[in-house]
Amino acid sequence: MTNAAMRRAQLETLVEAQGGYRATPPLLLSADPYFDLAGEEFGRRLLLTTDQSGAEYCLRPDFTLPIVADYIAAGTREAAAFSYLGPIFRQRETGPAEFDQAGIELLAQPDGDIALDQVLTFARAALSLYGVAPSVHLGGVGLFEALLQQADMPDAWRSRIRHRFGHTEAMDRLLTRLEAAPDLPRSEQPSRDDLVEDVTARMVSAGLSLSEGRTPAEIADRFLEQQALDAAHVPAATLKLLRAYLAIKGDALSALRQLETLGEQHRLFLGAPLRTIRRHLEGLGEARVTFDASFSPRLDYYTGIVFEMRGQGAPCSPPAANMTAFWSAWVQQRLSPPPAAPFGSIALKRSGRDEPDPRRPLQGPP
Amino acid sequence: MSLTLAVPSKGRLEELTRAWFAERGLTITRPGGARSYLGAIEGLPDVTVRFYPASEIARELIRGNIDLGVTGRDLIHETSETGPASVDFARDLQFGHADVVVAVPDAWIDVTHMHDLADVASDFRSRHGRWLRIATKYITITRQHFARAGIAEYRIVESLGATEAAPASGVADIVVDITSTGSTLAANGLRVLEDGVMLKSEANLIVSRTADWSAPRKRALDDLLSRLGD
Repeated sequence: MTNAAMRRAQLETLVEAQGGYRATPPLLLSADPYFDLAGEEFGRRLLLTTDQSGAEYCLRPDFTLPIVADYIAAGTREAAAFSYLGPIFRQRETGPAEFDQAGIELLAQPDGDIALDQVLTFARAALSLYGVAPSVHLGGVGLFEALLQQADMPDAWRSRIRHRFGHTEAMDRLLTRLEAAPDLPRSEQPSRDDLVEDVTARMVSAGLSLSEGRTPAEIADRFLEQQALDAAHVPAATLKLLRAYLAIKGDALSALRQLETLGEQHRLFLGAPLRTIRRHLEGLGEARVTFDASFSPRLDYYTGIVFEMRGQGAPCSPPAANMTAFWSAWVQQRLSPPPAAPFGSIALKRSGRDEPDPRRPLQGPP
Repeated sequence: MSLTLAVPSKGRLEELTRAWFAERGLTITRPGGARSYLGAIEGLPDVTVRFYPASEIARELIRGNIDLGVTGRDLIHETSETGPASVDFARDLQFGHADVVVAVPDAWIDVTHMHDLADVASDFRSRHGRWLRIATKYITITRQHFARAGIAEYRIVESLGATEAAPASGVADIVVDITSTGSTLAANGLRVLEDGVMLKSEANLIVSRTADWSAPRKRALDDLLSRLGD
């Protein structure tokens, strides 16, 4: 057996050993759910095709969505585990569009911490098959949310800041805008009724439906909210805190100490999410772990702890293994009542062949 | 070693392109008239002129099947994400100016900038049970620009004509469209965002980077470009 074939067989064994139900979703999937879930940004990576009726299909771009969609459709709320290994297809700027993805999905597990540890262990075992000493990159979505909840600012700004978490440039633009917020004298607010009337008149004259999309009341309310926001400044001290927080990055232990210090200085209760991160750190043993306070996949259904493991660029060029683990809030949003425990998922992606893989870290599954 | 120059095959773009070359002493001939797709430049036997639709010129330049051609900058950006990197924009032809812009209903008095749109898009689905919809024929440009603006929560509705009517007909909420004066958008109750210009486009003489540039062909190209001035 060649080295490549041998490793592939070992990966197969590792995936089987996870004990989950082995899932094999079709290669050709309806494209709509991917667009619905992840929007156009992920959509541009899909390899699309159209049938005679005009319905759009894509070559399987990941396993998570079909597996979880089937699980939801089955209607059980019981703990379940799935594993998978097979080709996925995504357009990239360089490199082949077809590559293998291996992973596990741990759904409705009774203990989220244990599930995350299993995911981390699986990821490290997979990388070690390729002789890679992984560097682990951790981020804390839950930690940031805890900080945001406690930081002193007008409530309306919290969701706007949260929404930009993980998009460094957009976050920077927003903070810069807030820092520069001019102290404008407040002009007199028009009454809500007048605004609604005005917006309604404009919509009617442009032939817009008053109910299909944004409604006059929604527009008027956001207009007033914007005016209130312009007046309601985020305190300079809070902006400084956010900047300081987002800049923390480096060796995990020292990063966590900096976060603790920052929390103490600002009288924030960050103990619980920090302890959770520490617990998982211990499980990672000797791996090189960095923590980046600003790191998060872009979409807001990632919660809790997120991580990415990358193979070091060794000369024998093991395929860069990207792994992301995340708690999928979107699954919970679609289940009613929501499961008691979070969902965990991990995907190990590697290039289709054993060759250097120059690609940047993936944005993670949709 | 002959060079292939592609020229838009009809309408004002063809007229203006031929006029632009004529001003620089190069007469483009089209012996078979409007039904012919093959032409020449008088006195330059090494250059073959082909008449193509403007969007095909963009595609073939990116692929390297033609050496140089006249088309809109917007079409290079739209045809492929790698389009701009596959060509050189050699001469701005000073016509066909138009901007690819983001426009929202004028009634959206609370939305003046892209960051407002980011706010609206982020909770659009929880309010309306669907994504914010954008009508456009500029799918690639829209995706790139919105990604840079940090907006991920939207769906594109492909629109191949009369995009400005999409909000009123209920097909989409906002549009990304090309406009030279903005008057068509305004007439349809749409307003360009203050930072909503995504691309400034114009007719351009464009050289393919992916074509085969052997030394003699490169010399022929340099010769042609030097005749066209700076």
